[in-house]
Amino acid sequence: MSATPIACQSSNCPNGHPPSRLECPTCNKLGIQGSFFCGQECFKANWKTHKVIHDLATPKQPLLNDPNINKDGTFNPFGAYKFTGSLRPVYPLSPKREVPAHIPRPDYAEDGIPTSESRKAGQPPRILSQEEQDKMRTVCRLAREVLDIAASHIRPGITTDEIDAIVHEATIERNAYPSPLNYRGFPKSVCTSVNEVICHGIPDKRKLQDGDIVNIDVTLYYDGFHGDLNETYPVGRVDDDVKKVMRTARECLDEAIKLCKPGALFRDLGKTIEPIARANGCAVVRTYCGHGINDLFHCAPNVPHYAKNRAIGTMKPGMTFTIEPMINLGHNWDVAHWPDEWTAVTVDGKPSAQFEETLLITETGVEVLTAGKRRDDLYS
Amino acid sequence: MSVEDDVPSLIEPSSILPAEGDAGTGGTVPLTIICGFLGAGKSTLVKRILTERHGYRIAVIMNEFGDTATINVSSPDDPGAQSEEFLELANGCLCCSIKDSGVAAIEKLMQKKGAFDHILLETTGLADPGPIASMFWQNEELAMGLGRDIHLDGVVCVVDAVFGRKQMEEDHAVDGIGESLRQIAGSDVILLNKVDLSSPEELEITEDMIRGINPVASVYRTVRGQIGLKSILGVDAYASRPFTTASLSQVETFACGGDHQDCGHNHSHGQTHYEMRGISSLQVDCPTLTSTQLARLDEWIRTVLWESHLPEGETTGSGLEILRCKGMFATEDGKTYILQGVRNLYEIAEVEGAAVSAAGVPDLGKVVLIGKGLEEPVRRSFQSLLTL
Repeated sequence: MSATPIACQSSNCPNGHPPSRLECPTCNKLGIQGSFFCGQECFKANWKTHKVIHDLATPKQPLLNDPNINKDGTFNPFGAYKFTGSLRPVYPLSPKREVPAHIPRPDYAEDGIPTSESRKAGQPPRILSQEEQDKMRTVCRLAREVLDIAASHIRPGITTDEIDAIVHEATIERNAYPSPLNYRGFPKSVCTSVNEVICHGIPDKRKLQDGDIVNIDVTLYYDGFHGDLNETYPVGRVDDDVKKVMRTARECLDEAIKLCKPGALFRDLGKTIEPIARANGCAVVRTYCGHGINDLFHCAPNVPHYAKNRAIGTMKPGMTFTIEPMINLGHNWDVAHWPDEWTAVTVDGKPSAQFEETLLITETGVEVLTAGKRRDDLYS
Repeated sequence: MSVEDDVPSLIEPSSILPAEGDAGTGGTVPLTIICGFLGAGKSTLVKRILTERHGYRIAVIMNEFGDTATINVSSPDDPGAQSEEFLELANGCLCCSIKDSGVAAIEKLMQKKGAFDHILLETTGLADPGPIASMFWQNEELAMGLGRDIHLDGVVCVVDAVFGRKQMEEDHAVDGIGESLRQIAGSDVILLNKVDLSSPEELEITEDMIRGINPVASVYRTVRGQIGLKSILGVDAYASRPFTTASLSQVETFACGGDHQDCGHNHSHGQTHYEMRGISSLQVDCPTLTSTQLARLDEWIRTVLWESHLPEGETTGSGLEILRCKGMFATEDGKTYILQGVRNLYEIAEVEGAAVSAAGVPDLGKVVLIGKGLEEPVRRSFQSLLTL
């Protein structure tokens, strides 16, 4: 991106072609260099002549020559976007999956707007009754089952869309609703985040490759409550640094869970998580946090994973919430988003790993409601 | 279809920002909330900021109509030409939407036009700035997108010098505290506007009333909203980062309980207590603390702010509600700490040692609370933790 001003390109510039840094946005998008104009008025006056350049630059047989369209008909819908890594979306997305009518659905299933969450905004975390805690145990157990089923299908060659289908089917088989589906307009039933995707990846037609890591984030809505968990899995054989970021993320979560008990402060979790990440040459994502979860998908408390945060709240028996540290390899904790307005990626294209559990604070400590079998590949 | 209509706007080179991971806090955009009494002159002030030739790129978000807000941008190159962006508001309320659409709209505008030097958020005449301020003080979680963090600079309130007193005394109280009082309590800079239309006596009374409710805000008398931008933008009222000498002197000023000209530290401020319709400010002396006392202080603050009751469990009858708190105190091991809080969001952060000695403030120890229900039991409760 050149910063030196270039003489105004207008053929009939009334100002004597002064140098300018104002660029034609269409040329910029098309990658045509050097289309600078001294001002909007001059640009407007020259528009008829100038736009011919756009037509010339557009390929005559767009479909055959377009690098964003694959031979099998799948395509990258964001050709102009400057991707931070090598991952690309592979569209079209499969049609919206149906949920049988007999399954109770959350309020946002219809219009995508979680109205009940807005109504509770600003209130302190809920204390669940014994009966409600049992319902959380149930939905979390079901969510763990669904995740384990999905994980068992991971292999090179399977697409994330196929994983979405597996999660969707397993969910409705249990008479539950897949919470991500239409939550704020999310198009699928599970989030699949590959390599440099930090979170909220949308399942599509991309085949998993040997060496990838993929995070599968499952949330179920059953009997009026949500249960949320995720794990990052290797696909085939992965490199050492990729293994490192996965293990680090798991360790961050494990150590944070150890702090949870009545009286502990939510703001202290980050103090334990961040040093572990740093010691392993990794960074803690700041944009996304853990969250309260019960009859609402996302509610109070807000649970940051980085140190020196101002999180409000003291843990009390009966509170349910998630801890879900997102750990990036390297020093960049920052986040960029794809034009689909969901997929969050690392700004340097390096991989990111995450693990999440839903927790319940008990009278004496913490219960990991979504606990599963120990992953031997994550521990030495 | 006229060809003229689809001529796109020229873009500037800095507008395509490859998202850089900036590990530090440098380069974040300050945001100021502007609130004020109805008819006090808020809009005049905002219009002036938008059109004056001050050389800054300032984005102003205004919530004038029911279900949309507008963002206007002042451009240093061409102050006359402003660009506008509309954002849809859920429930017609800016504070409900600001997290989702507000910040997203700002990011979009920054993408198109390059980064801003400052962002102003103008709230409607009745809005309470507290909840909105605490939302922006949580910075990182809000600034999704291109990683341009927004940090809260401060809250500015415009008070009508002619009708202000009446409004404060009479406005319809919602759960015990009138909106106008909430605005004054939650502000860092207060402009007493239209002073040319009021009498000196009335001004004195009104200003005393304001300072009584909020002893930590800077109060300026203005005509037609005319004031140097440096007095309202860049005040760094929520700073907990290493202080500049300028910010420290502001802290020193408030520790003296206001904007006194020659404060020789010989009047006792420990007992200042002014009440206006249930809302008051409380200043408590805070001597050098042991590490145990510091921990107890943190516990006291978080119990009062998060649970709205004293640690001992006793309530003060009228209901305890802290709207703003500020303090500076030292510990035995030579460290200095700053307390900042708005609503239930607070922080006690260490200040760089060097900055403190430069400003020459050895045993500064004051905590100011502004809110409801700040009666004697509260003071006693605070002081009891100091006797450990």
